[in-house]
Amino acid sequence: MSMSLQDLIMSLQRYWTGQGCTLAQPYDLEVGAGTMTPDTFFRVLDRRPWRVAYVQPSRRPTDGRYGENPHRVQKHLQFQVIIKPSPSDIQRLYIESLVALGIDLAEHDLRFDEDNWESPTIGAWGVGWQVMLDGLEITQFTYFQQSGGLDLSPVPVEITYGLERLEMFLERKDDIYDLDWSADATYRDLRFREEKEFSDYNFNQADVAKLHKLFAFAEDEARSLVQKNLLLPAYDQCLKCSHVFNLLDARRAISVTERVKMIAQIRAVVTDIARRYAPAGEDA
Amino acid sequence: MEFLLEILAEEMPPDHVRAGLDQLDEGLRRELAAARIPVAALRTCGTCRRLVVLADMAEAQETQDKLVIGPSKAVAFAPDGSPTAAALGFARSQGVGVEALETVMTEKGEYVGRRKTERGKTAGEILSGILPGLIAGLSFPKTMRWGGLAFRFSRPIQGFLCLLGGAVVPFEAAGLRSGDTTTGHKIHDPRPFAVRSFEDYRAGLAERGVVIDPEARRSAILAQVESRLQPLGAKLHPDPNLLDKLVSDIESPCVVLGSFAKDYLTLPLELLSTAMREGQHLFSVVKDKKQLPYFVGVADARGDAASLIVKGNERVLRARLEDARFFWEQDLRTPLSKRAPALKQVVFQEKLGSYEDKTQRIKKVTAYLCDKIGAVQAKETAVQAAELCKLDLVTELVREFPSLQGRAGGLFARAEGFPAAVAQAVYEHYRPVGLEDESPAGPAGAVLSLADKVDTIVGVLGVGVQTTGSSDPFGLRRNALGVCKVVLDRKLSFSFPRLLDKVLAVYGDRLSRPVREVKADCLDFFAGRLRHIFERMGFRYDLVNAALGPGLEDLYFALLRVKALDKLKASPQFEPMILMAKRVNNIIRNQPAAKVNPDLLAEKAERDLHSSVTILEGNLRPMIGRGDFGQAQTVLFRIQPTLAAFFDKVLVMAEEKKLRQNRVGLLQTIARLLLEVADYSQVVVEGEKGSG
Repeated sequence: MSMSLQDLIMSLQRYWTGQGCTLAQPYDLEVGAGTMTPDTFFRVLDRRPWRVAYVQPSRRPTDGRYGENPHRVQKHLQFQVIIKPSPSDIQRLYIESLVALGIDLAEHDLRFDEDNWESPTIGAWGVGWQVMLDGLEITQFTYFQQSGGLDLSPVPVEITYGLERLEMFLERKDDIYDLDWSADATYRDLRFREEKEFSDYNFNQADVAKLHKLFAFAEDEARSLVQKNLLLPAYDQCLKCSHVFNLLDARRAISVTERVKMIAQIRAVVTDIARRYAPAGEDA
Repeated sequence: MEFLLEILAEEMPPDHVRAGLDQLDEGLRRELAAARIPVAALRTCGTCRRLVVLADMAEAQETQDKLVIGPSKAVAFAPDGSPTAAALGFARSQGVGVEALETVMTEKGEYVGRRKTERGKTAGEILSGILPGLIAGLSFPKTMRWGGLAFRFSRPIQGFLCLLGGAVVPFEAAGLRSGDTTTGHKIHDPRPFAVRSFEDYRAGLAERGVVIDPEARRSAILAQVESRLQPLGAKLHPDPNLLDKLVSDIESPCVVLGSFAKDYLTLPLELLSTAMREGQHLFSVVKDKKQLPYFVGVADARGDAASLIVKGNERVLRARLEDARFFWEQDLRTPLSKRAPALKQVVFQEKLGSYEDKTQRIKKVTAYLCDKIGAVQAKETAVQAAELCKLDLVTELVREFPSLQGRAGGLFARAEGFPAAVAQAVYEHYRPVGLEDESPAGPAGAVLSLADKVDTIVGVLGVGVQTTGSSDPFGLRRNALGVCKVVLDRKLSFSFPRLLDKVLAVYGDRLSRPVREVKADCLDFFAGRLRHIFERMGFRYDLVNAALGPGLEDLYFALLRVKALDKLKASPQFEPMILMAKRVNNIIRNQPAAKVNPDLLAEKAERDLHSSVTILEGNLRPMIGRGDFGQAQTVLFRIQPTLAAFFDKVLVMAEEKKLRQNRVGLLQTIARLLLEVADYSQVVVEGEKGSG
């Protein structure tokens, strides 16, 4: 009996807390990736050491497939690890996390394949790899170089496991909905209806005009909160902008020029927040 | 003495490995030469985790005779030959007795000096000094920092193994000390082990699952592929870039053969092989150019006894092929012709409009070009292809597999039943994507390729987007090289400046910069690309400059000119003619333009020259017109004796102004004629080397 999805989560939590990581909890807003949550975004900006691990449900509205595609979903689970400064043996620690899941790497092909990550929305980029296990991308492994438009020093390393992918590997299953969430419940039981309804909402029902208003409201709110030096609430508003933007994108309601403009609008506020949070050369 | 350096790092991309090894090779040779350490042999090898240098070098610096000059002899010794205080002081400063001083003859007269043989530093000392700077100075396409270091490299460095004659060369870089150990395969045998020599290193790695020599890995991969595919009578769908990547990325090559359901064979080969290559780095397997339901993968593993690797890849591939089929079938439901409105939404460049605008422009330019190059039969095909060529940008398939753009359009056009020539032209209009790539095979594809690329270059330069060393967001260099390659491959002869005029006119007021400037910039830009191509073809740089001198009226003629120069450079007339041409240019430099009045030709030599030039001009025109620069030059060279006689007998700078202007005018005519064949002033000949 292979481990269920919840076993996988617990196993990774045990492993990384064993490596000195604080176990944080998922952030309670829609985000596109674990990188965007405050436990990563703010904590990488200053010079203080930071070790954290947490599961983060991540929404990608355009990836919705009405529950009909065995691999693509509009909401998936990431397991996010951030360690600052990046330890010199971090690749070994990562490899051992796979071994701790019971994967016998002598029998498999594990590769670190060049893949440099960037998020123009939050002014962040890094250098690293996608980790491939027998051809399946299971992890994004990144040394952050910049976030919020600032050079990061010391350099944090981010390890993001795609939990469903990894679980499909562990269970050798072809269909995400067949995964065992626990001994008693499948992924289908928990998530199928959600995928179906949200796909319809994302692609067909989300009100484009209202979303545009929502974007403008959140952006405005973010700017005024920045002026009041309420940086975490201001950042929340940026996350809302980002999700609304993704919904509009799924509705195919953004032209290429608008896309560039909207991303630049969010990035302008985010980089402002970052600068105020971690003034150059100071320990925040 | 054997030198071995290994920089062990986390996985570096293939182009980084190549860049690192090239610079280590070049830098180490340079630094060791500067430090007077003779190097008998030096080579590099490596993997994505290891940059390795192996060399055979001298144990120490060559000894050097050194002469220290002291006071002049007159000061150092009294007339009776006894040493003065100056001589004694100098000898003391050199740590020797005065009897060890000798007399040295210098430019300023006789001096005393002290000759000594300096023993050199050892190679180890030198290397300890050189290596930290050399390693820190390596540059990569993209660098990064890690941990708390300010050090930059391709990827984090994990260690340095550095031995000279079996002993550690101590140095420190990136916060690490060099040593005599390395580690084996990252997964299969990561424990450190000690090394004493390269042979020890190579064999130690081999035992631990790592093949250090890239050529050995390449042959291992190809041999395993061969043995897997032979029973099927099949071959790899060739993909040299993918093979290079795998040779670099994989320390322990293990080839696996997997299969997929036959249903997917209804998809085009391009789509299948793209789905396999991207993401999983798998090769398509073909027989008689037809895809078989198999793939070949190269794993970084010792084996796949339990078939877990192949099964895992099959599962992932099935999902990718399912996606590809979904997109392909979905996209086919919307005919290309219905996609034009969507193309309006896709911005080509903010100021240059959408891809729909681009389509309308390249349609016009395509029609123009077909007329100009006499490809009238291809015109209808090419214009229809122009209409269709960008529509695949709004398909889901190209969104998912951007590398298929163009080719996907061709495949859709074919599947929709457009004429084969139209589909082919769409399919190949992005080609060539580099100088290594082939030009479009059909005339319509070639014209479309030219129109598309020239439109991009003119437009982007026209709105003032800067292309600098590393920043070329619209790939202008690649596009211009593509244009030159198509023109040269197909031997297309047409007025290039007029093509630019046409494209500029089609853009109308979209361009923010003055038309004249844009055109001049385009011509400069293309001259640079042609220079690059010609030098890469092996032509001498000065001949290339000479061939480009007459300008870019006709791109293909520039090639004919450099070829003619290259052919004639060995002839005995070449050098005298070049010198004569330079003499003509020197005399008329800074002279105002003048006209020749035959009535004013006073002397026989100048009348002879004038009549030769008149005849020559008549003969040359048709040769230049058809691009026969070899013959044109041969004919032109015949004027040399007449010209020589003219210089001999006639004083160009005559006192009388009218005579002088007339003679200058005659030479200006000759200079103009010469410049239609080549700018001979650019050619470097023996007779003038070293004279500046």
